[in-house]
Amino acid sequence: MESVNLKVSNAPFVRSKDSIESVMYNVALALAPATVMSVYLFGMRALVLTVVCILSCIAFEWLMDKARNKPNSCLDGSALVTGLLLALNVPANLPLWMVVTGSFIAIVATKHVFGGLGYNVFNPALVARVFLLISFPAAMTSWPMPAPFSFDMMVDMETGASPLGILKTDGVQAALASLSLMDGFYGTMTGSLGETSALALLAGAVWLWYKKYITMYIPLTIMGSVFLFTGLFHLIDPGTYASPAFHMVTGGLILGAFFMATDMVTSPLSIRGQLLFGLGCGLLTAVIRLWGGYPEGISFAILIMNSFVPLIDRWDLNDRKAENKKKPEKP
Amino acid sequence: MISEAFIPAVASLGSVALTLGLIIFYVSKKFHVEEDPMVTILNDTLPGVNCGACGYPSCGQFAEVLVETKDSSMTCPVGGTDLAEKLGDTLGITMAEPKPITAVVLCQGDNDTARETAEYLGIQDCWAATQTYVGPKQCRYSCVGLGSCIAFCDFGAMRLENGLIIIDKDRCTGCEACIPACPTGVIVMQEKKAERYVIACNSHDKGAATKKACDAGCIACQKCVKVCDDDAIVIENFLAKIIQEKCTSCGKCIEVCPTKVNCILLEEDLKEAKQKKAS
Amino acid sequence: MKTFKTGGIHPPESKFTENTPVELMPVPKELAISLNQHLGKPAKPVVKAGSEVKKGELIGEADGFISANVHASTSGKVKSVKPHPHPGGHYAMTVFITPDGQDEWAEGLNTDPVDWHGFSKEDIIGKIKNAGIVGMGGAGFPTNVKLAPPPDKKIDTIILNGAECEPFLTADHRLMLESPEEIVEGLNIITSLFGGEARAYIGIESNKKDAIETLTSHASSKGIEVVSLKTKYPQGAEKQLINAITGRTIEPGELPFDKGCLVQNIATAVAVYEAVCKNKPLVDRVVTVSGLEIGKPKNIRALVGTSFRDISLFCGNLKESTNQIISGGPMMGKAVYTLDVPIIKTTSGMLFINNVGIEKARERTCIRCGKCVDVCPQGLAPWLLANVAQLREFDEIQLLGLANCTECGSCTYVCPSKRELVHWIKYAKALVNNRQKRKSA
Repeated sequence: MESVNLKVSNAPFVRSKDSIESVMYNVALALAPATVMSVYLFGMRALVLTVVCILSCIAFEWLMDKARNKPNSCLDGSALVTGLLLALNVPANLPLWMVVTGSFIAIVATKHVFGGLGYNVFNPALVARVFLLISFPAAMTSWPMPAPFSFDMMVDMETGASPLGILKTDGVQAALASLSLMDGFYGTMTGSLGETSALALLAGAVWLWYKKYITMYIPLTIMGSVFLFTGLFHLIDPGTYASPAFHMVTGGLILGAFFMATDMVTSPLSIRGQLLFGLGCGLLTAVIRLWGGYPEGISFAILIMNSFVPLIDRWDLNDRKAENKKKPEKP
Repeated sequence: MISEAFIPAVASLGSVALTLGLIIFYVSKKFHVEEDPMVTILNDTLPGVNCGACGYPSCGQFAEVLVETKDSSMTCPVGGTDLAEKLGDTLGITMAEPKPITAVVLCQGDNDTARETAEYLGIQDCWAATQTYVGPKQCRYSCVGLGSCIAFCDFGAMRLENGLIIIDKDRCTGCEACIPACPTGVIVMQEKKAERYVIACNSHDKGAATKKACDAGCIACQKCVKVCDDDAIVIENFLAKIIQEKCTSCGKCIEVCPTKVNCILLEEDLKEAKQKKAS
Repeated sequence: MKTFKTGGIHPPESKFTENTPVELMPVPKELAISLNQHLGKPAKPVVKAGSEVKKGELIGEADGFISANVHASTSGKVKSVKPHPHPGGHYAMTVFITPDGQDEWAEGLNTDPVDWHGFSKEDIIGKIKNAGIVGMGGAGFPTNVKLAPPPDKKIDTIILNGAECEPFLTADHRLMLESPEEIVEGLNIITSLFGGEARAYIGIESNKKDAIETLTSHASSKGIEVVSLKTKYPQGAEKQLINAITGRTIEPGELPFDKGCLVQNIATAVAVYEAVCKNKPLVDRVVTVSGLEIGKPKNIRALVGTSFRDISLFCGNLKESTNQIISGGPMMGKAVYTLDVPIIKTTSGMLFINNVGIEKARERTCIRCGKCVDVCPQGLAPWLLANVAQLREFDEIQLLGLANCTECGSCTYVCPSKRELVHWIKYAKALVNNRQKRKSA
């Protein structure tokens, strides 16, 4: 009996089974329907792109851990999720070297430069997407046409503008003609890998919400505010502004609202903060879509609001402090 | 054609720059604070570590007060005699020489001599550990050995060796920043002197209990008290204590001490002292 | 079903000993009775090495207002009085008794039950004080002090805490099944101290259906309401229990009596009954011995001062794979570092576990998931408190509500990054206290 080697640690001695890994792998699992859908729509090329993206992210993570002399975190799932999100955010025919550049920007320049997981201010996948969009606008806006079950590599695939691009350049009539709302919902339209199928994305989001990994405050305020804002202008002038339902299903709104804006690291912690964050994202998205230079606004909107997160959290913090200042000292 | 494009840009940006520059100029004139040049000179002479050993929160405040009062008894322990001379020359007065002091760890219970309790797996910090249980060592008066004080030392004078804090007496300036950082209060300040003896144990347990917990503890056996010619050692609450004013540094107490590591020479390295005793 | 408003978690219940009746543990070969078994100042020893004591005889006298008497748990000879490891982790003055095997009560103690209705209020509180009764749920606040709040505070609600929300522990559960009459009588004695209008409740979590039934059948005729509570940790914390049953919120800085409430533990009620009616001091208690690494998990009635070693031998010995022994429950208990520590009046459980996660679960960075904020029953932001504690910004941390933390451990339980949130908070509390002490010194 004396041979027992006792160890002293602090209460609680039971811990939940949740870990960074379980959180990250569940997010990846929730993105699985959208990934499968993208392979169905865009073929082998989509699969290759996704794999390259994930592997390059994990490799950069490993390199940065080595360089920064930190414990190895390349398999904790965060690099996997970043890679997957980045892949879902680019067109299927993007050259692979650009994809790797994107991974570099996401992992090295956005995440590890700020101190690694938990310290990054901006969502890594989104920064990479915006970087690619600004640096290679042609490659990032020539969207391949979906061709279900075509399992060739689509080297010279047919491309076209996205519904939102058509809306921006050719006006609302052309945009509506290019797409039926049901196509948008199921996903058979042009667009990046993962943003096309609202159905697959929502299925994953409901799973995450059911498992309590995300709350619905941010996504619902984003969707709601975009709906109301675009709806208002649609009511004023249906000839210039597309209907809110069109805005709901096109572009990366659903992907952004449910998977990018809800990123734990770069969103506020308090409920009212999350509501404010969602409202800001929604309004900015709508403003960029309606009047901005780019057809799509959700990435910029989320990144802009990301930079406000410390401020929003400070609001909560100051209120907590003020509350405790008022109260009498414990006797 | 080029100039047509350039002129408005240059003109607009230039005027913005000019306006801002004027504002800065005005503000700096308006809010200019008159400062005694002497304070700046003294501040540059001071070590600039803001350690607080002088009793003022920063070197700047020390300089201000010194210029204002010209109080020659003010000392900066960090700078030592050299600095006192320099300050005196600058101000034209004779500054008091600071008594050099140093921190001493009143414990020699390293991983070899002190008995361990259970392995500690909580937050690696002395306060966190002592607040969980007695600590990694059985003796509750000992140096906990997780090194919380190291971060508080501005001069890099502390290091953790074999589960015990060692103080580099050449680097220690006696600023006392480490004292509140220690949960067991095992660090004290002593005057720096060529030869000085202290009882490096902090245990107020009875002899038997001390012996059970540590090989290098004072067991209050009275031998050093009896051998001391100058009545410089007293035993208080089961712990011997050297009264520094009476101690003549004869070294007799070291020879009789049964736990052999009880008394150390302050100015020598701990290991040297151990070797000396062993031989 | 009633429960408290903010936060809370539901860890696996692991109540292995739910259906194991309480077993009486024989007197061990040596007893180490700590003189610090309560909140406040330790008791002063009134015996010396060599004195003969009878069971129930006073060996430590309450020293000051917040302190409690300590009695010999059995008859025998005092071997020594010296500092000894305490289940709280530190040393405390301890009286060692070598039992003579007679287990003989001192004169006039442990008599046949008498009717308490004739006793005056002062009599009852005096008897409780003499018996050395402290809160047996864990905090160990002297009961006689708690039962005599300042006269300007009117108590209208008395709650008996049968929530037992900690996983593994079943001591109160068994007590509720096996001595419901004593519990009800004890509660009646306490209620009688506050006049006629005070309402009495017994709060029990719904995972103890049999206890709810038993107590309802005994209590309902006496005007006591048994409240079934949702199974949620920390339901048994004083503030949360009051909130669950009455809906009142104890604001930071307030004590329960500020809101007219008084909470007592089930075991304390039994002790009050025994002290008042049978003149029996608090010398034994029911302890749950559980965990996967003990041979036979049991509920035992053990004498105060029995060492963890003797109890583990009585319960089929511990396995070699044990790497942690916990005094108390797994959420708020303390890991002990030696089997020599004795049980004290507040030890409700003893767990022998093999905590495999402990080796690899090093702290990782916060991923700002916000789970700790969701579960904190006090509405704090534990991640922020821990961050600020790490930075040693102690002025800031007090403004963030450090003093309101009840250290229930819910935040650490849910943290996916395995941060030691509650330990950082305790660490900050220790350093803030130290700083205040230094300032006032």
